[in-house]
Amino acid sequence: MKRALSILAVASAMGGPVLAEEFTWAGTTDPQTLDPHAVNSAPVLGFLNNVYEGLVRRGKDMSIEPALATSWEPIGNGKGWRFLLREGVTFHDGSSFDAEDVLFSYQRASNEGSDTRSWFSPVSDVKVVDAYTVDILTTAPNPIFPDSIANWMMVDKGWAEANESALPDKENGNYATLNANGTGAFMVSEREPGLRTELVPHAGWWGEVEHNITRAEFTPVQNPATAVAALLSGDVDMINPVPIQDAERLAGSGDVQVIRGIEARVIMLGMAQESDVLKYGDDEGKPNPFKDARVRAAVSHAVNVPAILKTIMRGNAEPASQLVSPAMRGYSNANADRPVFDQAKAKALLAEAGYPDGFSFGLKCPNNRYLNDEAVCQAVTSMLAQVGMVAQLDAMPVQNYWPELRADNYDMYLLGWSPGTFDAEHPIRFLASTPNKEKKLGSWNFAGYSNARIDALLPMIQSEIDATKRQDMLDEAAKIMQDETAYVPMYVQPLVWGTGKNISLTQRPDNFFILRWVSVN
Amino acid sequence: MSDQTSQSAPKSMFARAWDSDFAYNFRRTPVAVGSAFVVALLVLSAIFAPLIAPHNPFDPASLDLMNGFTAPMAANEFTGDVFWLGTDDQGRDVFSTILYGMRISLFVGFSAVLFAMVLGITLGLIAGYVGGWIETIIMRAADVQLTFPAILVAMLIFGVAKGITPIEHQDKMAIWVLILAIGLSDWVQFARVVRGATLVEKDKEYVQAARMIGRGKGIIMLRHILPNVLSPVLVIATISLALAIIAEATLSFLGVGAPPTQPSLGTLIRIGQGFLFSGEWWIILFPSVTLLSLALSVNLLGDWLRDALNPRLQ
Amino acid sequence: MLTFVIRRVFQSALVLLIVGLVAFSMFRFVGDPIDNMLGQERTDADIARLRTDLGLDQPFPVQYVKFLKGAAEGNFGVSYRQGRPVSTILVERAPATLELAAVSGFFAITIGIGLGVFTAIRRDGFMANMIMSVSLIGVSLPTFLIGILLIYLFAVELGWLPSFGRGDVVNIGWWSTGFLTASGLKALILPSITLGLYQMTLIMRLVRSEMLEVLRQDYIRFARARGLKERSVNFRHALKNTLVPVITVTGLQLGSIIAFAIITETVFQWPGVGLLFINAIQFVDIPVMAAYLMLISVMFVGINLIVDLLYFAIDPRLRVDQKGAK
Repeated sequence: MKRALSILAVASAMGGPVLAEEFTWAGTTDPQTLDPHAVNSAPVLGFLNNVYEGLVRRGKDMSIEPALATSWEPIGNGKGWRFLLREGVTFHDGSSFDAEDVLFSYQRASNEGSDTRSWFSPVSDVKVVDAYTVDILTTAPNPIFPDSIANWMMVDKGWAEANESALPDKENGNYATLNANGTGAFMVSEREPGLRTELVPHAGWWGEVEHNITRAEFTPVQNPATAVAALLSGDVDMINPVPIQDAERLAGSGDVQVIRGIEARVIMLGMAQESDVLKYGDDEGKPNPFKDARVRAAVSHAVNVPAILKTIMRGNAEPASQLVSPAMRGYSNANADRPVFDQAKAKALLAEAGYPDGFSFGLKCPNNRYLNDEAVCQAVTSMLAQVGMVAQLDAMPVQNYWPELRADNYDMYLLGWSPGTFDAEHPIRFLASTPNKEKKLGSWNFAGYSNARIDALLPMIQSEIDATKRQDMLDEAAKIMQDETAYVPMYVQPLVWGTGKNISLTQRPDNFFILRWVSVN
Repeated sequence: MSDQTSQSAPKSMFARAWDSDFAYNFRRTPVAVGSAFVVALLVLSAIFAPLIAPHNPFDPASLDLMNGFTAPMAANEFTGDVFWLGTDDQGRDVFSTILYGMRISLFVGFSAVLFAMVLGITLGLIAGYVGGWIETIIMRAADVQLTFPAILVAMLIFGVAKGITPIEHQDKMAIWVLILAIGLSDWVQFARVVRGATLVEKDKEYVQAARMIGRGKGIIMLRHILPNVLSPVLVIATISLALAIIAEATLSFLGVGAPPTQPSLGTLIRIGQGFLFSGEWWIILFPSVTLLSLALSVNLLGDWLRDALNPRLQ
Repeated sequence: MLTFVIRRVFQSALVLLIVGLVAFSMFRFVGDPIDNMLGQERTDADIARLRTDLGLDQPFPVQYVKFLKGAAEGNFGVSYRQGRPVSTILVERAPATLELAAVSGFFAITIGIGLGVFTAIRRDGFMANMIMSVSLIGVSLPTFLIGILLIYLFAVELGWLPSFGRGDVVNIGWWSTGFLTASGLKALILPSITLGLYQMTLIMRLVRSEMLEVLRQDYIRFARARGLKERSVNFRHALKNTLVPVITVTGLQLGSIIAFAIITETVFQWPGVGLLFINAIQFVDIPVMAAYLMLISVMFVGINLIVDLLYFAIDPRLRVDQKGAK
């Protein structure tokens, strides 16, 4: 498109003299599509939050606030929710936003080929009441529904249909894969997939402008050392993430500042509880000790989480006691203590379970998925070895890792979980429910953890309107999982961004980078 | 001198290699003595690593994470332990880890080059001397092989090996896969150069003479042609040894190297590069310097060996 | 000569078929693309459906034939990652890699031959020995480390050169070039050195070794005895006769430069096909991997052909020989 015109159009990857309001940033992953309904992944949704908007959005403190809907209320005693839409909103191409676009975006995002479909599993119907009123009906009372659709982004019906993009096409791509037409504060002015994406402010944006950016550019940079070098040499204004080990040094250097926070992602160890035998190590084929809750508890006492946090995480991470971080809704304050590091207790528990001399097993680990994942697994390996549990560590790239987990090729594994809804119900649904394909439950419960009470609690939690009662049930679930050591939650992954000293911005715990909160001084 | 080269070279090369000229030449070349000393020192300390190293970095139970990132010769702030060359992110003693890592690197390097050399020379000689459809097949196979970057070859072999190796042997598999992958990606160089040189050599008078007196193809190839194509082979083998060690590091950078729990020198450097900006310079410096001295000495020694063994340069 | 070329073209086609087959069988081991295409809230039904849509549930031979059919028409399919035709992506990315390869190849050949000749002529000179030793340091460290050290020194500490990327590029038709802007040229320096260093050292050492042998030959002595100028002896006679093995190796190295640009491009975030390939591995983008391998194969086969033809041109003995051998 633009390429054809531009004999001399200069594509600036890092620019010569950078104007004050130009902003370039680098991240590890390029958003693979500009279609907000095609792929439900953090790099895509995070980036597109700058371009598209939903009915509601998350503020600087992660709270839900009005966006394209000005207000909403439950209707019909748990039947659903009514959203009143903002008037006078225009898409980037100038067309206006109304209830038809909401209905269209529902149909588009809940379609079989849309990766965002799971968000709408509680929805039974969407009704247009008038041009600026929409009712979303749910199959059961759903108190957290507005929270769950913060990333459901509105697409213009006319634009999508005119460009043959009425449905997302993940396999072959379509116009909406490469082009965007949202209502957000920024519009995509140039896009070279995998290389660079240029954004400029949307002049007709409805909101109050906080930023002072005239042009912004995103470049993916894979190698962490290269990204750090780019930040230090001023070639980019911001990088995410800063390698944890470099944070301190960068913070101490003159031109760069480091912004730290805690991500929503909890890193944990999972243990095979379904398999009758061990699959790896010298004890391969022998009965699986991890079926015994005492052995799992021994693991939780043998892992020295404070040491991991102090050295590998360099004091940037917080310990985790349950499957969600304290910043999430429904976090169980009653169960905030994690098992203490106590090798003697771990050995005692092992002896009690009938393994006084320990045993040997296999630990699977990704080496490019979570921050310093391989180093953490190595440390875990040596900590477990000290109490007699000898792990055979197998670290691999994530593209090989998930297939291994799906094929049940592990005795123990590392997993990170970030609840898409920012609510404690989410990991119960995906990680702790007994796997059930029909009900779409426990789809990431590789461990095969199963507890009837948890399974019974989940639907009750999902439909409970009363906040206190709901929290009581979440507390109960958290306690059960702690008592049985369903998983060994270790820490909440830190969030470390680096920027030039002249940049001010807000870091959100979901690791979304929101450009409209950036200003270049 | 060189007027007698063509007829008598093959025989005299081996003889000359072991008579006093060779030793004398070695003694009066300081670079050769120096690099031989460094190589010997490094190889010996690798072989005897379990006796020399103060810790066993491959034993996970002996590591204390709290010892992590201890600077060289400084006491750790939590445990008070002191390490010569400091510790890495897992609290492993860098000195011991280098010694153990060098064992793996040297083993992978030597085995891979040996494998590549035997394979490449054999196929190159056959292709160059026999010619015909055999040559076509070999050289086209070389084309296919060259098309695949070493990384890919390694990944393929890794994948296949993973599929066919029984689960309990998988941790020992990585090293052999590396040897196979690096060796396989390297044989073509030997084959092409040997074939090129063989094409030139095979019509020279001495080969024709040998043919006329009725010597068999195998004998001619081994006894007459091979010694005369060794010069370029040695150049490549020299660099290949260092290269194989470095290739292992590169593969590790791309995620298919030696396992992190039993790191090679290359894996150590890969891990260390993550700490280049953070101030823990010792984690990358010492393994790099070791690798550099090893590769450099091997190369220098190879340089000298080539000159000394080459009958035409005597 | 003509039959030779025809025969080689036929063989090349066969090579490409085999490469395709090997590449394709390899893809089953590099991981599963599904996980990168679906979010964490995917169901097993979603996985099965996507697998069917992509044709991944079909038996391996069916997939291979389908791929070959497409490839024959120049259609390499659609990237799983980007949702665009692979051919479009490759055309976009090729100029970056070709320019980088050209510059590092030029650097490797000119400096390599120059230094090789110099170190051969001044065999025992101090400078020559210094060059020989110092050049070895460059090949005694892994490429990625050299790249990172160069970035650290020239981009971070000195601030002279950019740390990543291609700088400003100018589009001439579909070709984007970095040769026409100051920042584009500056951006080329560090990656070219990183990429060309190993090849340069190899060429230099090979030229030196061959030169040393040739310089010992009788005809060179005769030439010297005849009173020809040293310069003329070294370059007209000696260098020319070292070229057979040098061309073999150089030809191969030029191909490897493109193949091994993968690492340099990763370190410098250079937007070429090598980086594309690494990303494709990371995201199990099978169509992109397949097309890249085919592209590289075509290039290698072409280079091999040229090297063989050059053999003819340079060494007259081979021409005679070919009649017998082929």
